[in-house]
Amino acid sequence: MSKYLTAYSIALQETLQRRATLLMDRVGGFAVVLSLYSFWSALLGGKPSFLGYTRAQMLSYVLIINMLRSMVFTGRGWLLVGEISSGRISSYLVRPLSYHGYALSLDLAQKTVHAVSAVLEIGLLAALARGEVFVPRAASSWAAFALSAAMASLIFFFLEFAVSTLAFWTSESGGPLFCFELFLQFAAGAFFPLDVLPAALRRALEATPFPYMVYFPARLLLGQISGREAAARLAAQAGWLAVAAVLSLAVWRRGLSSYAAEGG
Amino acid sequence: MNGGFTRHARLWTRTASMSLQAQLTYRLGSAGFLLGKIVRFVFFFAFVAAVFRRTDRVAGYTLEQTALFFLTFNVVDMVAQVFFRGVYNARRVVNEGDFDFYLIQPVSPLLRMVCSSVDALDAATLVPVLALTCVLLRRLPGAGWLGAAAYAALTLNALALVFAVHVAVAALAVRTQELENAVWIYRDVMFMGRFPVDVYAFPVRLALTFAVPVAVMTSFPAKAYLGRLSPAWIAYAFALGAGATAAALAFWRSSVARYASSSS
Repeated sequence: MSKYLTAYSIALQETLQRRATLLMDRVGGFAVVLSLYSFWSALLGGKPSFLGYTRAQMLSYVLIINMLRSMVFTGRGWLLVGEISSGRISSYLVRPLSYHGYALSLDLAQKTVHAVSAVLEIGLLAALARGEVFVPRAASSWAAFALSAAMASLIFFFLEFAVSTLAFWTSESGGPLFCFELFLQFAAGAFFPLDVLPAALRRALEATPFPYMVYFPARLLLGQISGREAAARLAAQAGWLAVAAVLSLAVWRRGLSSYAAEGG
Repeated sequence: MNGGFTRHARLWTRTASMSLQAQLTYRLGSAGFLLGKIVRFVFFFAFVAAVFRRTDRVAGYTLEQTALFFLTFNVVDMVAQVFFRGVYNARRVVNEGDFDFYLIQPVSPLLRMVCSSVDALDAATLVPVLALTCVLLRRLPGAGWLGAAAYAALTLNALALVFAVHVAVAALAVRTQELENAVWIYRDVMFMGRFPVDVYAFPVRLALTFAVPVAVMTSFPAKAYLGRLSPAWIAYAFALGAGATAAALAFWRSSVARYASSSS
């Protein structure tokens, strides 16, 4: 365990050391959130609600998106593709550690920094919104959100890992990964709540793990899902997490068995 | 002068052809990237259309008018991707010493750095977007031929501004050998151009018009077509386009003059 903590600590220091890169990442992310926030704000205008969301809930959804994008969508998929394609992965395979554990440690370090930054940005935007933000009172909403966000983060980690692992078979896995990540962000509700989509399409998406990465945790925090439904959805999310983990490990093992240690 | 233009045109055609061949060789990767770009476009378009099923106007614009802003953003963004893609490799080109070779070749190093890599996938997606824009322009009751001329001229002006941004990013790479994220921050900030600038609060509108002129690049052409842009603002846009291009080229020349080779 200590080796993974050391990896986490080193990755944390490395992320904090590259301050210009971090700042630019955050400014870029902030621009996206500000854009969506402004669009919804203009859309709501004087209306009391839209798609079942009150003004405060809708604007809060956008702020939650910023937090979840930082916690969920900051993966190492592109690095993994590069490491496999260049052969650098070999140096990790001979070390006495699990590559999944090592990658998760690095991923967590990155998520820690980005999540803290997201909290500061949300505070700034909430202040600018002058109280037009929905803050849940019940501790259970916060607890359910924290649990769901943690599982969302792990589902993304494993799914992205599985897609990136295609690099064991082809040097062109960057294309599928790019497509997967873009599709996932829309299907997860990371740009807009899925309620805006036609009912049939929304139902089809709800049968996949994608909405459990942003849409579902956000609705939990906004109090739109509670009680038994929340428990059932959390159980379903846990199921998807198990599926993603098993899939990722299976693809990894298959990939390793066909790996030919390219590179010097 | 004429010979120089012909030589550079031939060079660009050759490198564009090589980029196309490379992308055709990597079929799976290219298919993934192409599909990802289509997914992004379709989802955003579907989002805007779905929103307008429940409301008449956003920030005073109808669905078709909002679609014109969205399509104009896509035209500007995709043309930049097609022609100025080389900037994404600027830091690598400098750090690995390839830029030294650019300097001793009898062609403009700026052309080699900014325009030598052509994204054929964006060219493929640009065609339907341009067709859609033309169809929409014909359907919209605009400001007649004068409005159409202003739209075309301001779109070209937007491309000059985008070119200036890319030249500045390339110059930064030459000068600092860092700032790999500079071009990505531009992409993220450009995200704000997907919606009419009028959806933003006054201070943000001000920033998007004067500090980071995303509004001039993406909203001004559509506003001019709709007859909502005064001649003074049109004059400002052209002055900004000319000034920014001149400043970026001066910055590039100054950066190249200071360059002392960063690789062995």
